[in-house]
Amino acid sequence: MVDPLGQVLDALDVETFFVCENEAEGRSYMLSLLKKWGFSDVDIVFAQHEGLGVRVRGRAYVYRPADRYQWLAPRETTP
Amino acid sequence: MKKVLLAPIDPVHDIGLKMMARAIEDAGHQIRLLQPDLSPEEIIEQVIRYDADVLLVSRTLGYGVAEILARFIDLADASGLREQMKIGIGGMAIRPEFAAELGFDAGFGPGTQAAEVVCFIEGREYCQPLGKNSKTKTDMTVGYDYQIIHPGIAAKLGSITERLLHWLKGKTSPGVKRARIRHELWDVDRWRARQDMDMFTAEYSRECGDIPRKFFTEGELHPKTRRLTVNEVRNFETYLRSLSGRMPVKNLRHTRKKPLVFNQYGTGCPFMDIGHILASQAWGADGVIHFDPSWGARTEGFLEGFLTHQEDGTVITPANLNRIHSAIDPSTLWQVRAHRGLNTPETVVLAGKIGADLTKINICYGALGAGTDPERMTVDGYHSMLFARQYNLPFDVVTNEELAGVPAYKAFAGMLIVASLGVRIGARPILQPLFAYSPEAMLRGIMEDNYIDYNAAKVFALRAIMNAPVWPGAPIGFLTHTEDRIQSAMTTALHAALASSLNVDAISIASTDEAYSGGPITVPAKIDTLRAVAESFRFFGHAEIAPTQAANSMADELLSGIEVVLAEVESKGNFVDALLAGCLGSRSDGAYPGRTGKDTVSTEKL
Repeated sequence: MVDPLGQVLDALDVETFFVCENEAEGRSYMLSLLKKWGFSDVDIVFAQHEGLGVRVRGRAYVYRPADRYQWLAPRETTP
Repeated sequence: MKKVLLAPIDPVHDIGLKMMARAIEDAGHQIRLLQPDLSPEEIIEQVIRYDADVLLVSRTLGYGVAEILARFIDLADASGLREQMKIGIGGMAIRPEFAAELGFDAGFGPGTQAAEVVCFIEGREYCQPLGKNSKTKTDMTVGYDYQIIHPGIAAKLGSITERLLHWLKGKTSPGVKRARIRHELWDVDRWRARQDMDMFTAEYSRECGDIPRKFFTEGELHPKTRRLTVNEVRNFETYLRSLSGRMPVKNLRHTRKKPLVFNQYGTGCPFMDIGHILASQAWGADGVIHFDPSWGARTEGFLEGFLTHQEDGTVITPANLNRIHSAIDPSTLWQVRAHRGLNTPETVVLAGKIGADLTKINICYGALGAGTDPERMTVDGYHSMLFARQYNLPFDVVTNEELAGVPAYKAFAGMLIVASLGVRIGARPILQPLFAYSPEAMLRGIMEDNYIDYNAAKVFALRAIMNAPVWPGAPIGFLTHTEDRIQSAMTTALHAALASSLNVDAISIASTDEAYSGGPITVPAKIDTLRAVAESFRFFGHAEIAPTQAANSMADELLSGIEVVLAEVESKGNFVDALLAGCLGSRSDGAYPGRTGKDTVSTEKL
């Protein structure tokens, strides 16, 4: 089966709403979540905290320019 | 002809089903549409009575959908209908995966085309139309005679241009020399056929700076670049071949013919760039703009080879440009920016030889906002325009010095001098005012009420001066974007709607990553704004946005300001002296005459 993550052209964005006290807390939740999922090249694209929580979009770059992309390689399958 | 029964398994919603019913009838089939709010048992009874070949049921409401559809399919099984007929399910609550899981023969979710359903009824495979022939390249300069309408400004531009041409006589630079070598000795067909280019290389490397010279003599690459491997290139070629024939080209302009929509690429990697370009085309961009790294503009000469770059901007090399060009759809306009650095004339030559449609040249921005010495930039800019004429490349004259803080009237005066010089030598400039919340607008508070009036005023003023194409950029809405993708897409779409309403010829749009500086722009971020712009064009059609009266007085103010600046430039006697003196943007405005390439202009023996 093709690894779907390798077929991401560049980055994976995750957007959600965290219930939290302030923006910093919400940002840290997002970064922790992305790292917990195994991503290392992660960042917060946008965060806005109002009242009960934060609307936040995190990004995990799967590939940066000049990397070697799976989506370009001939399809390889894993059992 | 098939007998088709259409039944909403829904308390109220059946509009989608009615639309499908009409399309199915138009395709020559016999239809019967049942009313909403029937139970599964009642629908099954009707199917039996009607003796249908195909049953199409629909569900809009999401609640209870799994249970009711499972019950329906069980009843269809029990009654033996599943064996006798095809059953499809559609509607807003339906996903194809879900329909298949339940045992339906087909599932039609949101966005389904009527043709897909007709194909299902007729047992044919549905092929999505690619719309390949729906777009052709447009030359936005057609229909403009470049006449200068404003008498006072016409006289001043005429005088400045003549003096400038006189000053330019016999002047050259390493950039001009390289461009001539590239023009005379570099044959693109021979290069593509991998034939010997030794004569070119020997001549060329002599006029290069350290980085390209080391590349040619010692094979040393710029530290931020690497060569793409043979395997990577092979894989890429295979990938592109697999794409051919299934790449759509979308038109997003709805009922208007203008503006053409451009976005830029320049991830650093030509492969990634091509991914960006193909996605941009598929979502409706009419043109793409090549963005090169800033160090490239400060380096005398180009490298060669298929190179990828670790930072922003894709290195200009013949191989990179050639590969990118070959992947672009023939209907997509391709602009290679030449505007700001030491390789400006050669960029025009290379872009022209490889097949670009447009380039970008502005002496004033290059000299005041991009770090190139004013004298060098003036000589190189002039020769770039000569080459642009020769290679049949219209070019926009961008006024990005506004982003440094230069007021629009000064930036426009500079743009008009460059455009006027271009017209004088037979080239085809395109005026590029910034549609931006510029520092000037912020400081003066002239956009406090809206973003419409001052942008409209810029277009009104330019149209009162010259009959030339107008291409606001770059990108439209600059400095109004935030990192929020909804806000960012919205502001781009609104600026696009304003541009469309003003009937300008083209626009350059950003992605929703415009204000995000943490990493490379992503493809989904580009699609965000293309989708938003398409929606704004759909919303407004031929309707217009009405600026307030303030736009007219702002336009008058711009016209007066431009005339005063041109008078100052005229009084200096020399365009380069005027640049250095700050007539077209001073240090206090935020414009600093550049130093790169200083003292490199020489006089040729005529």
